[in-house]
Amino acid sequence: MTNDLLGLLVVIPLASAVVSVALIGHPTHQRVLGLASQLTMLALALTWLVRIRDGEVMVSQMGSWRAPFGITLVFDSLSGLLLCAGLIVAISCSIHSFSLIDPQIERRYFHPLVQLLLMGINQSFLTGDLFNLFVAFEIMLMASYGLLSIGHTRQQMAQAYKYLLLNLVGSTVFVITAGLVYGMTGTLNIADLARMVVERTEAGVPLPTGFTGLSVLLLIVFGLKGAFFPLWFWLPDTYHTFPISIAALFSGLLTKIGVYAVLRTFPLVFAAGEARDVILPLLAISAGFTMFLGVLGAVSQNQVRRILAIHVISQVGYMVFGLSLMTAASLAGALYYMVQHMVVKSSLFLCCGVMEQHAGTDDLDEIGGLARRHRWLATAFLVAALSLVGLPPLSGFFGKLVLIREGWSIHWWLSTLALATGALTLLSMLKIWTLSFWRTEPAPSGADRRPTVRVESLRGAHVGIGVLVATALFVGLAAEPIYDIAFHAGQQLTDPTAYIEAVDPLRIAAAVESSAAG
Amino acid sequence: MRPFLRRTRWPVGGPIGGTSSVILRTAVRLILPLTFLFAVYAALKGHNGPGGGFIAGLVASVGLCTYRMSYGYQAFHRLVPLHPRWLVFIGLGLAVGVAALPLAAGNPVLRSAATSIHLGNADLHLVSSTAFDLGVLMVVVGVAIGMISRLDEEAER
Repeated sequence: MTNDLLGLLVVIPLASAVVSVALIGHPTHQRVLGLASQLTMLALALTWLVRIRDGEVMVSQMGSWRAPFGITLVFDSLSGLLLCAGLIVAISCSIHSFSLIDPQIERRYFHPLVQLLLMGINQSFLTGDLFNLFVAFEIMLMASYGLLSIGHTRQQMAQAYKYLLLNLVGSTVFVITAGLVYGMTGTLNIADLARMVVERTEAGVPLPTGFTGLSVLLLIVFGLKGAFFPLWFWLPDTYHTFPISIAALFSGLLTKIGVYAVLRTFPLVFAAGEARDVILPLLAISAGFTMFLGVLGAVSQNQVRRILAIHVISQVGYMVFGLSLMTAASLAGALYYMVQHMVVKSSLFLCCGVMEQHAGTDDLDEIGGLARRHRWLATAFLVAALSLVGLPPLSGFFGKLVLIREGWSIHWWLSTLALATGALTLLSMLKIWTLSFWRTEPAPSGADRRPTVRVESLRGAHVGIGVLVATALFVGLAAEPIYDIAFHAGQQLTDPTAYIEAVDPLRIAAAVESSAAG
Repeated sequence: MRPFLRRTRWPVGGPIGGTSSVILRTAVRLILPLTFLFAVYAALKGHNGPGGGFIAGLVASVGLCTYRMSYGYQAFHRLVPLHPRWLVFIGLGLAVGVAALPLAAGNPVLRSAATSIHLGNADLHLVSSTAFDLGVLMVVVGVAIGMISRLDEEAER
């Protein structure tokens, strides 16, 4: 089904970023504008998600240049679910930032950068073209570099530099790989690549020589963005220097883009044929290490922010676990897990921001007694933490259930590791909960414990947390309709016929290919 | 006054922030209009050949930066009285507007409209994507001179 309004999800954030630049010096106007643009996008995305709930695929060919020559935007079950979840996270983090962002930072290019970040994220989810995916990554990264360095503290700059350097390397490898893919296959359109794979498999023609090498290169690129083992080292240090609302936004969205890119391209194209025998074991090993080492790292930490940041890695492991099985159900499980993780993880970070504000620190040795004074915060944190652990009927349970059951017959050892990781996650979440909320406040250590940012009211922060925790509860309680959509996505990823037909790469491409072969 | 330009040991006759090299200052008077001319050529040629708004923007900003280096901060302000931020703003606004306009007519984003005008014996082919390219050009110029000015301010301090 054609829906040319899909472009709005890229145009709206760009336009509001432009207007927001003109409004610099008027933070209230910028806030209203940013929120309005995010709410509009969410309304559009939700409407379209309801329309495609039976597994249709919405397509828009930008500039009316047909695939595979132009850039295609695709809104299917996979991108739709993630877009909606991402926008909800963005809205909550924005509202949260209204009360907790340092006015010094807000006066700079904070609002335009958030809008550009969203533009990059939306485009990554929507695009059906490998090179355009690279462009979207770059837009998102540019905005994230800006957001990283906007505070100007020395520590932040050192981290921003590391992050910048790593991502530059990643982007360079990505664009080189994209060039190689184009040289090898003559196309960068994902549907066209999938068509090539399907046709070659049916005709018994092997894939081009070196295809497996390309797959591995792409896996490294996406693994770096998604913080898979062993490319996860950049993540824990980067997250704890951000302003907390930005850390929440990044934890919910940025690594997930890497996982999404694997989810979109690998089942359809890059894990086909001989590449499959290389990619799947790699993913399985990476999944085990990411899950288990991640959670071990988290258990050993003593600061709330660091624990949460390292948990991001461990949770990414579950998604990679789903990817490594590469069955329709496991991909659906990974997708559901991503959706719930985006919501839950960001809400934990948002809670952490308010905790820091109340206690003046996030060091677990020094905070305590928050449950008595801040009952609702304690409840919200507990709900989010138990969702992360996966206690039924909260959202994490359904994600893990499908993954572990699906994994049992293929890699029983990974399922066992996933269960052990779950237990350790419970341990570290309870550690935060008992130390910071449940116990009585420890005697002041004499250290300076003033909050880093002076705030007038925490209302925005509370609204942000409320929206996300409510969404987390919804994702858990309404698991069935969401899983329906996720299963459609899983099926489309394992059987790309519907996707290819919707994008409809021209048959000319097939003719060119056969004449080149003959 | 920037130290690396002062090293020429010429009698300082140039305006604030500029160079005192007569050769460069005279040459720039020729270079600037020529780079602009070439930028216009590259921008227009970009519709069907190599070129386009991005490259034209880079060419134009090279000319502008050379002018700034030789004539200094104040003269540059007289030439480009806008803050670079506004160039970026107007350029982006133009590009986004042209990109989004087809949505109103039910077409996909970035769809270009074309028309031809007969001028005597020749046909003038007009496309709406030229306006998009113009927007890109302004963004590139704005970003380039913005960054150069910022670096210069640091150096002049």
